[in-house]
Amino acid sequence: MMDVGRHPNIKLLTYSKVESIHGYVGNFQVKVLKKARYVNENECTACGDCAEVCPVVVPDEYQQGLSSRKAIYIPFPQAVPSASLIDMESCLGTNPIACGKCAEKCDKKCIDYDAKDETIEFKVGTVIVATGMDVFDPTILEEYGYTKYENVVTSMEFERLLSAGGPSDGHFIRPTDRQRPKTVGFVQCVGSRCEKIGKPYCSNICCMNTIKDTLLLKDHYPDIQAKVFYIDIRAFGKGFEDLFNRSKEAGVQYIRGIPGEITEDPKTRNLRVMVEDTTSNKIEDHEFDMMVLSIGVTPRLDMPEVQKLLTLSKTPDGFFMEAHPKLKPVDAPSMGIYFAGCAEAPKDVKDSVTQASAAAARAETLLSAGKVKLEAITSTLNTDLCHYCASCARVCPYGAFTVDPKKKTISYVEALCKGCGTCAAECRFGALTMKHFTDEQIITQIDAHLEENPHDKVIVFACNWCSYAGADTCGGARLQYPPNQRLIRTMCSGRVDEKFVLHAFKKGAPMVVVSGCHYVDCHYIDANRWTQKRVEKLWDKLEKWGIRPERLLLEWISAAEGQRFQKTMQDIEELRKKVTKDEIEHTVKVITEEEEKRKKK
Amino acid sequence: MAETEEKDFKCLRCGAEFKLPYTKGVMQERTCPKCGSNSVRLDRKREKEKAGGTDKTT
Repeated sequence: MMDVGRHPNIKLLTYSKVESIHGYVGNFQVKVLKKARYVNENECTACGDCAEVCPVVVPDEYQQGLSSRKAIYIPFPQAVPSASLIDMESCLGTNPIACGKCAEKCDKKCIDYDAKDETIEFKVGTVIVATGMDVFDPTILEEYGYTKYENVVTSMEFERLLSAGGPSDGHFIRPTDRQRPKTVGFVQCVGSRCEKIGKPYCSNICCMNTIKDTLLLKDHYPDIQAKVFYIDIRAFGKGFEDLFNRSKEAGVQYIRGIPGEITEDPKTRNLRVMVEDTTSNKIEDHEFDMMVLSIGVTPRLDMPEVQKLLTLSKTPDGFFMEAHPKLKPVDAPSMGIYFAGCAEAPKDVKDSVTQASAAAARAETLLSAGKVKLEAITSTLNTDLCHYCASCARVCPYGAFTVDPKKKTISYVEALCKGCGTCAAECRFGALTMKHFTDEQIITQIDAHLEENPHDKVIVFACNWCSYAGADTCGGARLQYPPNQRLIRTMCSGRVDEKFVLHAFKKGAPMVVVSGCHYVDCHYIDANRWTQKRVEKLWDKLEKWGIRPERLLLEWISAAEGQRFQKTMQDIEELRKKVTKDEIEHTVKVITEEEEKRKKK
Repeated sequence: MAETEEKDFKCLRCGAEFKLPYTKGVMQERTCPKCGSNSVRLDRKREKEKAGGTDKTT
C-alpha cells in the first residue's frame, strides 16, 4: 500500500467515493467525491497528539469494536496516507467553542474544520474493480448466540484478540473475565454452504484461516486446547495440506460435525455444544471457555451501486460475473473493465494478488496498444425511424443507449455494443439493424429452410456461444439427432425477434425452437432474460390465436451439453410428428389474417 | 421486495405439471423436473381457478 502511495505513476485517492463513470473502453470519464478529512494530509505527521486530547470515544471499527478510538484518528496503523482524519459524525462540532481541542494541540496547524468535500473528474482508459467483500454477520444465526454470549466471537474478532496490535496488546483474553481461555472451539462454515440463509457457496478462505489461527494460538499458548468443528476441511492450495497437518500435529482436534446450538453456563460463562461426530457417529458434549465462529464472505452491501456505475452483472451468489469463467476470468463483460479480488468471488490473498496482477496486465496490454479492436457485429441506428420509445435502452445489457422520450433524443455509443441484437429484436419501428444478422438475412434463411416440405422441418434458433456450440459438441461426439432440424445461428437468443418465429410458422413450420445459454452462461450479461420474456409473450399470443403454444419451445443448452442437445432434438422430433397438416394450415391462415389486420391498423 | 410464492407451472415439452417458486418481476431459469426442458409456462388457468376466477385467455 505504501509503495502504491509513493509510486510516481499512481494517483491514490483514499477516503473517496466514485460517483459516476461514463464512457467506454479507452474513454471513461470518472467523477470522484473526495471526502473532507478536516486534516491537511500533506502537513500531518501522524504524531497522534490530537487524538490524545480528543474527548470523544467511539468503537474502533478496525479492532472490530473491541476497543475504542477518538473522533480524530488514523484508521489503522498502516493507513496511507499516514495522516489523521476527523470523523465529523462523532466530533463534538466544527465550532471551536464546542471543543476544538485537536486544533489547539496541533503544532503544525493541520486541522481545518471548514474543509469541504471535493469533486474530482478525470479520464481513464480502463477500470479495475477491486471493491472487496464484506464478512457474514452471524447475528441472524440465533443458535450460535453471537449476540447473547460475549465469549462467542467471530474469526475477525479472534484475529484482533490474538494480534500484538490488537485491543489487548497481544494478550489473548476472553471478553467476559479478561482471563486467558484454556479451551477454544472453532465452528466452521458460519454463513457459508447454507441454503437456508441464502449462502450456498463455499467462502474459500475460512478453513485455511482457522488452520492458521489454531497454529498461531498453539505457537503462543501450547497449553490451550483447541477443537475445530467442520463439515469438511478444504485445504486445496499449495502448502495448505501441510499447514493442516501441522495444525493437527500441534494438538488441534478436528471434529467432523457442526454444533446445532451453543449454550452458556451462566455461572462460569463457559460455552457448551452438543455435536454429532460423523466419523464416529457419536453425540458428543464439549465445553469451551471461548468459541470462534468462522464467518464466511459475502458480497459488499454497496455492490449494487458499483454494478450500476459500470453496468456489471452478478452471479446468483451476488458477486460480480466475469466475461468467461475459464477464458476471461478477470474481464468484465464490458470491454476495458477488469476484476481483482473478492469483488468477483471469495478468494484468499494469494489468489487476489494473482488476479490483480492479471487484471493489471490485461489493462496494460490494452492501454499500450493505443487502439482497440471493437466488435464487428454491432447494431446500427437509423434515427429517422426512431420513435424514442426507449425499449432499446431498457434491454441493452451494456447501456449503449440513452434515450429521452420527452425531449425526443437518442444517443447510441456503438463502441459499447457487443452485438447481442436484443435491441434490434425489441425495436418495433425497425430503427435498429444488426450488422450481419439483419432481419432480411434471417428471414431469408427461414424461407430457404422451409422452401420444400416445411411440415417435415423444425426451425431451431441457436445462439452462437452455447446452443450452436452445443450442437457442434453433439456432432463432434457423433451423437445423432434428427436430420430435419434446421439451425439458424444468431449471436444471442435475444436477437430472435417475434416476427422470425411467426414467419417460420407462417411458412409452415410445425415446430419452432428458441435456444440459448443457461442464465449464468449468457455471453451478453442478461440478454437471454429478454428472450424468455419474448417467448412467454409469444406463448400467450399463440394461445390467444388458437395455436398450441407447445409448438414453440424454449431451451437453454450450453456448449458442453451435446447430449442434452441430442435429447432435446429427439424429443422435439416426436412432438413434430404430432403436429397435423390441418393444424399447420390453420396456423398459416391465422397468422396471415393477423398480419393483414395489423397492416390495416 | 417482491414476495416469493409457489405457483403452478406446466412444461410445454412433456406436459408435466408442477410447482415452482415464483417472484413477480424476477426472471428465473426454470427447468421441468421431469424432462429438463426450459419451456416452462406459468399455468394461468390453474392460478385463476385457485383465485376463484376464470381464465380470460381461454
